[in-house]
Amino acid sequence: MLDVPMSRKVHAHCDGMARRDFLRIGALTPLGFTLGNFLGAKSAAAAEGKGKAKRVILVYLGGGLSHHDSFDLKPDAPSEIRGKYNSIKSNVTGLHVGELLPMMAQTMDKVALIRSGSHNNDHHETATNWVLSGRFGSAFGDYPAMGAVAAHETGFHGALPPYVSIPRNPSFTWELGRSAYLGGKYESFRAGDPNEANYKVRDLGALEPIDAKRASRRSELLSTVDSLGSQVKGDDQIGTYDEFHQRAAEMILSPEAQSAFDMEKEKKELRDRYGHSTFGQSCLLARRLVERGVKFVTINSGGWDHHAKIWEGLEKKLPEFDRGFSALIQDMADTGLLSETLVACFGEFGRTPKINKDNGRDHWGPVASLLFAGAGVRGGQVIGESDKNGERVTDRPVKPSDVSATIYNAMGIDHHGWLNSPDGRPIEILAEGDPIPELYV
Amino acid sequence: MSQAAARTAAALLLAFSLALAGNDPTPRIVRLTAEPASIDLQGAGACHGLLVSAETDDGRLLDVTREAAISSSNPKIVAVEAGLVKALADGDVEISVAYSNQTAKLRVVAAETATAVVPSFRNEVVPVLTRYGCNQGGCHGKEAGQNGFKLSLRGFAPEEDYNRLIVESLGRRMNHASPDLSLVLAKATNRIPHRGGALFGPQTRAYDLLVQWIVAGTPNVKAGEATLASLEILGGGRRIAAGQEQQLLVRGIFSDGAVRDLTWLAKFYSNDASVLNVSDAGLVKAKREGASTIRAHFQDKVAVVGFTIPHAKAVDPALYEKRQNVLDGPVFDKLAELRIPPAPGCSDEEFFRRAYLDTLGTLPAPEEVTAFLGDPAADKRAKLPDQLFARPEFVDYWAQLLGDLLQNRKERDHDVRGSKGVRNFHQWLREQVAANRPWDGLARDVLTATGDTAKSPQIGYFVVTIGESREAPKTDLVAAVAQSFLGTRILCCKCHNHPDEKYTQDDYYHFAAFFSSISLDRQKPEKAATTLAVMSQREQEERKRAGDLEKQIQPLEISLKDKSEDETKKIQKQIDDKRKEMESCRKRADEARKAPVKVSQPRTGVALAPQPLDRSATEIPAGEDPRKVLAAWMTSPTNEYFSGSLVNRLWKHFLGVGLVDPVDDLRSSNPPTNPALWKTLNREFVGSGFNLRHVMTLILTSRVYQLGAATQPENENDRRFYSHYYAKRISAEVLLDAISQVTGIPDAFAGYPVGMRAIQLPDPGVESHFLKLFGQSDRVTACACERNGEVTLPQLLHLQNGASVVDKIKNPDGRLAKLLKEEADNAKVVDQLFLSVMGRHPREAESKTVTRLLSDGSERGEVLRDLFWALLNSKEFVFNH
Repeated sequence: MLDVPMSRKVHAHCDGMARRDFLRIGALTPLGFTLGNFLGAKSAAAAEGKGKAKRVILVYLGGGLSHHDSFDLKPDAPSEIRGKYNSIKSNVTGLHVGELLPMMAQTMDKVALIRSGSHNNDHHETATNWVLSGRFGSAFGDYPAMGAVAAHETGFHGALPPYVSIPRNPSFTWELGRSAYLGGKYESFRAGDPNEANYKVRDLGALEPIDAKRASRRSELLSTVDSLGSQVKGDDQIGTYDEFHQRAAEMILSPEAQSAFDMEKEKKELRDRYGHSTFGQSCLLARRLVERGVKFVTINSGGWDHHAKIWEGLEKKLPEFDRGFSALIQDMADTGLLSETLVACFGEFGRTPKINKDNGRDHWGPVASLLFAGAGVRGGQVIGESDKNGERVTDRPVKPSDVSATIYNAMGIDHHGWLNSPDGRPIEILAEGDPIPELYV
Repeated sequence: MSQAAARTAAALLLAFSLALAGNDPTPRIVRLTAEPASIDLQGAGACHGLLVSAETDDGRLLDVTREAAISSSNPKIVAVEAGLVKALADGDVEISVAYSNQTAKLRVVAAETATAVVPSFRNEVVPVLTRYGCNQGGCHGKEAGQNGFKLSLRGFAPEEDYNRLIVESLGRRMNHASPDLSLVLAKATNRIPHRGGALFGPQTRAYDLLVQWIVAGTPNVKAGEATLASLEILGGGRRIAAGQEQQLLVRGIFSDGAVRDLTWLAKFYSNDASVLNVSDAGLVKAKREGASTIRAHFQDKVAVVGFTIPHAKAVDPALYEKRQNVLDGPVFDKLAELRIPPAPGCSDEEFFRRAYLDTLGTLPAPEEVTAFLGDPAADKRAKLPDQLFARPEFVDYWAQLLGDLLQNRKERDHDVRGSKGVRNFHQWLREQVAANRPWDGLARDVLTATGDTAKSPQIGYFVVTIGESREAPKTDLVAAVAQSFLGTRILCCKCHNHPDEKYTQDDYYHFAAFFSSISLDRQKPEKAATTLAVMSQREQEERKRAGDLEKQIQPLEISLKDKSEDETKKIQKQIDDKRKEMESCRKRADEARKAPVKVSQPRTGVALAPQPLDRSATEIPAGEDPRKVLAAWMTSPTNEYFSGSLVNRLWKHFLGVGLVDPVDDLRSSNPPTNPALWKTLNREFVGSGFNLRHVMTLILTSRVYQLGAATQPENENDRRFYSHYYAKRISAEVLLDAISQVTGIPDAFAGYPVGMRAIQLPDPGVESHFLKLFGQSDRVTACACERNGEVTLPQLLHLQNGASVVDKIKNPDGRLAKLLKEEADNAKVVDQLFLSVMGRHPREAESKTVTRLLSDGSERGEVLRDLFWALLNSKEFVFNH
């Protein structure tokens, strides 16, 4: 198959074909590895990961993580590209990460690092909606985020909602990563900031003692006065109201739902280990939620959009990330949760190689670093690479649709499946994209 | 299976499906018709389909195209092959069709069969790529192409596509010597692995056409060849039964008069997939009762046909007879045609609460409810609209709804108008609503506003949509105007032709050109007001340069004092040079002002003059503000997009579903569900001088608005024809105010006095968890979808357990606490609660239950607070029904 990488400007002939592409396809056959074998091997590897993830934690780095300063350092690049930080060894031979990530350095054996995330958009809203749904659309979110699709496929079971965002969905000027045509029913449940003192999920904590007698009285009164549902049939909003009224009541009354969000139930040492930052405690809350049956949790960590004063910015944010994310991986590995939980971490794009006049980096779609762990993913490997300046992908570009296909495949959701828009139009979950087989090899 | 056997089987199937649909299992056929009446075929191998329809004795038309026997009077001239007539030699033949002892004829003339056939790249080859999906947005048609091969989206730029197919990549995509080996064909048939799969096989019409084209030397777009003038569909506009099928025939009428069968190249879509399905080959199937339309696309043209599928069960015609005003005729005629029984009329309680919520966004107070219920006048309902228009809440509510439409919000986290900008625009809207300003005047005032934002606050519309850009035609303003005033979505056309409608990219930029003379002079709010002047970008730049030069001249003139002769000469020269340059700038600015207004189309580079979306000719006098011409075209009484856009929004607001839905997606390919009602509403609106209150009165006093919300099995699936009132969740601001009103505890909005209601808020910038939760519009885009009326889980959590709601119920200063103190009679307290929350007295069963719960020893206050909680959490409260 002619696997033409997206950015082939490097070493391209005037017609756009890169010579190495011809070599690559041709070279396999003499080794007895035919196209059929190749495709077969790919799908076998992808099948490895299929359905392994009972749940997903997506750590979303809104604003765009600078790959040059975190997971894809270029120590040999000129200083205006290289930046301020040195690389440090990780616990994987040959793999280096940025010096602001010492704890991640000791966790890389459990993480698969993709250095070749790549697309061609540098607009926050458009790119955010693209990477969170896997489909390219408008800045206003034409396609549902992966969590919303997961909620739709799983449905509502038990006291906790299937899709939670911590603290809420990402946003710039307006909210992003929404449920689009799947509607409000599958929108994420906003958990709020678990690092707050006296953290309580909005509207969840019981405000006054409601004993069984009172609860039953309220329920009787409600069913007596509310006859609209029996008079009006065929209206799905009325049906949804009843369903959610029931679920809300369960959440409020159920000790499981209450305790799932009760951060005080965790040992102090563990809370310290994740770090007392919004990000750190969000990671811990995410772990608690997936343990208790929530299917898809998105941790929205914004503020990575360092157009100016990037060193100050990263020196504040990277240590929190380092601590929280490594704690999440290690904690779940220790308890055995990791083998059934897919963890993915990425932003909407990378950042520019050349440092700008305000001592920052700007948006850069063509290269980004992405992290995967858990649910059968083989840790301790690097997939893909970028050139010496971190400017173009030189090997194995990974598109947003490939990332989403991987996540759906891990959840056992057929990404070629169809969902219905409100006007009855069938829409494919993903228009393109393949699970990344190298993650499981 | 032989042809005859196949026809018998098909006929049996047809009869069977009709029987299933509850129709007479053996309809008697009284007449057979064949369409079209005559066919002209040009060139050897030219094909054309036909439709055969059987008229039954009960007046229905059945599609028997696939069952009829079709024969040619001279098969050597025109043969019948797979249901198509095909030209073999020049001549004139008669085609006979027979079915169930009836026959019909049509004439076919074949010509030019001796000339070699050369497929047209524009009219045949590119359409094949469109038809089979090669150039759709998910594949090669997207901006980035697919795997190194890009085509124009849906073939809107054939000249570029030719280059990509033939010239690009050293011509590797075609093999002129052995056409079958061409990469394009190998991929399309998946002979070489193709991500898109096998789009067609090697023995198909599409394949043969492409081979023919390659053999002919892959000719490019032919200069002067006939282009498509219009598209028509045969076989539509019929009444059919659920389960019944109907084949469509799509014909293109070309600029040279030729008419060709384009069915096999057209793309078909259903406007309501739950009612009608359509296959890729144009075979329509009715899924269930209802009505909808099918559209066929070819190149940039669209044609639409409708189908009606009445319910099988007859309905007593008397149910449709009562009409209260001109709106009811079209509504009940349609319901009668579809055999959907209407709901019984609503009660006075329901009408009163409904009218208050829809017209004032406010619940009626208990005293108002009892007064209305107790009023014996026969015309009390008819008198209500005028009473509502006189209320201050009417101005509050409609100013807010217009604020949604005109996107009144802060520009960004900072606003060049300062903090007052949004409020001033809001105040201006309030004045228009209070004066019942005709919609055409209001629209003109917004669109042609000039001057400064302090004196003309409606300039805020431009501030928000243009932002900091210096070129208005390149901003969101263009699409926003089309969406808000014309109900048309043209944003797609910024980059390519519209996928669903006839608008092209050129149309977009022609329309954008109307805004090329807008110059927003943005000033810091502390220094000066931002102004909007009518000035092209070129003129702006020249005048700005002239202004800068003038500023440079002044200090130089001052510095002339006390200088030596030499220095004076030098400085004077500088002044003279600058003055000369300033004069040239001014001269160029004046020329630019007189120059014809044009905008450069980014893809073709052609300069396009302002032209409205219907491509009608416009004249813009030199130096005149093009927006004035645009406003005149828009507000013309015959511009159905302008009047229809607003009247459809009003209709949706009151009745729950627009005649066209979504309301900002009016297009000929998505026609109104009730064309007669559409015409009536537009006529009333325009005829009354674009008077909104006139239309509201008609709606409020019609029978259709006053139908009950309760459904029966026969009409519960109807969501388009208004057989019952569609219960809808109350919107965010209205619900918040309702809760505050019934509990007697107002909300506090930061920066506003306590007691201000949510429907009075000028913009969505106020921090309110409740309003965000319940889908308040952010006004970011012009899309009507910004306001969200759906039910979500967090909303229900909030209503049951939200601190603010629970507190309002319990508050010692609240209404319930006061009632408990002042009124000892529980029945009276309960009555007051029901009247304020539900707008009615409690029913017997409800009163009994409350009485029982009050006498089991529980604390009185706690029981009644629980009742209050139950009322506020009921659908009857949260929905308008």
